[in-house]
Amino acid sequence: MMDKKRILDEGLLELYLTGELSEELTNAVEEALENDKSLKEHFDVLESDFERMGMEQAIAPPHSVKLRLKNALGQTKTNWLPLGIAASFALIFGLSSFWLYEKWQDAEQNLNTLQSQTSELERKVNNLESEFRLTSNRLESINNPDVTPLVLYGNSKAPNGKVIAYINHKSQLVLVNPKGLPRLPKDKTYQMWSDVNGEMINMGIVPTDKELVTLKYIENAESLNLTIEPVGGSEHPTVEELVSNIII
Amino acid sequence: MKKRFDDNEAITRLISGDNNALFQLYDKYSGALYGVILRICRDQTKAEDLLQETFIKIWRSIDSYDASKGRFYTWAYRIARNTTLNSMRSKEKLIQTDDFRVYDSKEVNEEAPDYTELKGSIKTLEPHHQEAITLVYYRGYTHKQAHKVMGVPLGTFKSYVRQALKQLRETYTKKLVYIWIFLELMA
Repeated sequence: MMDKKRILDEGLLELYLTGELSEELTNAVEEALENDKSLKEHFDVLESDFERMGMEQAIAPPHSVKLRLKNALGQTKTNWLPLGIAASFALIFGLSSFWLYEKWQDAEQNLNTLQSQTSELERKVNNLESEFRLTSNRLESINNPDVTPLVLYGNSKAPNGKVIAYINHKSQLVLVNPKGLPRLPKDKTYQMWSDVNGEMINMGIVPTDKELVTLKYIENAESLNLTIEPVGGSEHPTVEELVSNIII
Repeated sequence: MKKRFDDNEAITRLISGDNNALFQLYDKYSGALYGVILRICRDQTKAEDLLQETFIKIWRSIDSYDASKGRFYTWAYRIARNTTLNSMRSKEKLIQTDDFRVYDSKEVNEEAPDYTELKGSIKTLEPHHQEAITLVYYRGYTHKQAHKVMGVPLGTFKSYVRQALKQLRETYTKKLVYIWIFLELMA
């Protein structure tokens, strides 16, 4: 380490003060100042004198220098270009995110609509299918070489009334289309009977609100007879209320 | 010590990005630094630009200031001095290519405008002490250049500077004593 005497004798502190020393000597002086308290005190006094001299020799600069410095700092500090670029990117990113979000929401809504439409269609198809099955079953039941269609025309009890009966002896099925019958009061109903050797046998009631009514097949029936009965039907036909009959 | 404390506080704020702290330091030191710059370059317009440049350098490199190694003024003085000398050096080089003037031909005796005249306690020093201080601190000469200008050996020149500073200190101390006596009398 450089000793205090040499530093003072060679006036190195004065040279260090004005920054005239080489890097090597600067480091040596700094090291000595760090380790030698009395040398540091010496340097502190020198600096203090130097600063006092500086203050004494001060010349006030024009105020415009301070204003220019303020402007220069403002310009140097805030470099708007990268900020502007970053802001533009942020804006583009924000807008595209918003646009994508909107698109996504649209797509989501479309998907939901499509899903509900699909299930609606599915339901309709199912309905159509079951209706079609029912219709084709009915058609098969009546439009068949084994089926005998019979038309029963109404008498004065049911003027213009008409019932079509389809009898299939092979599969022992009887279907009736009651649509052509006039409506009855609420406490009355139509009932169909088979005549077997002079005895009337119940085939079932015939509600007029259905398109095809399945009735009980009675073997060896000679004729079909339609009567008006109280609601729920009767065990024996009310002969006075006979509406129509036909021989098979 | 309060001064040092104020400086350190302002420097800490400046490092943390508070520009107002720079203007606090500017208000305190711009006069002293402008005095150095103007006396070295002797051109008022140029000196104003250099003062601004000095404070921008202070602002940019405040991180590298180490308070344990010395006062803020000493550090700022070095920046001001180097900034001024560098600007004059590049200017002189340009002139040199035009009129083939010999580099470093600056005349010490050239007429100085009034505003660069030294004032205060320095004027009470003996002429050779005054000149030594002026050359080194207010003309931007290095000790090696200045002793040649004065025509004395380097060792002698260094002792001139040291003695000058010592005498200045004594002057200041005397002044302080007078002020103290004056204040005592006032009280």
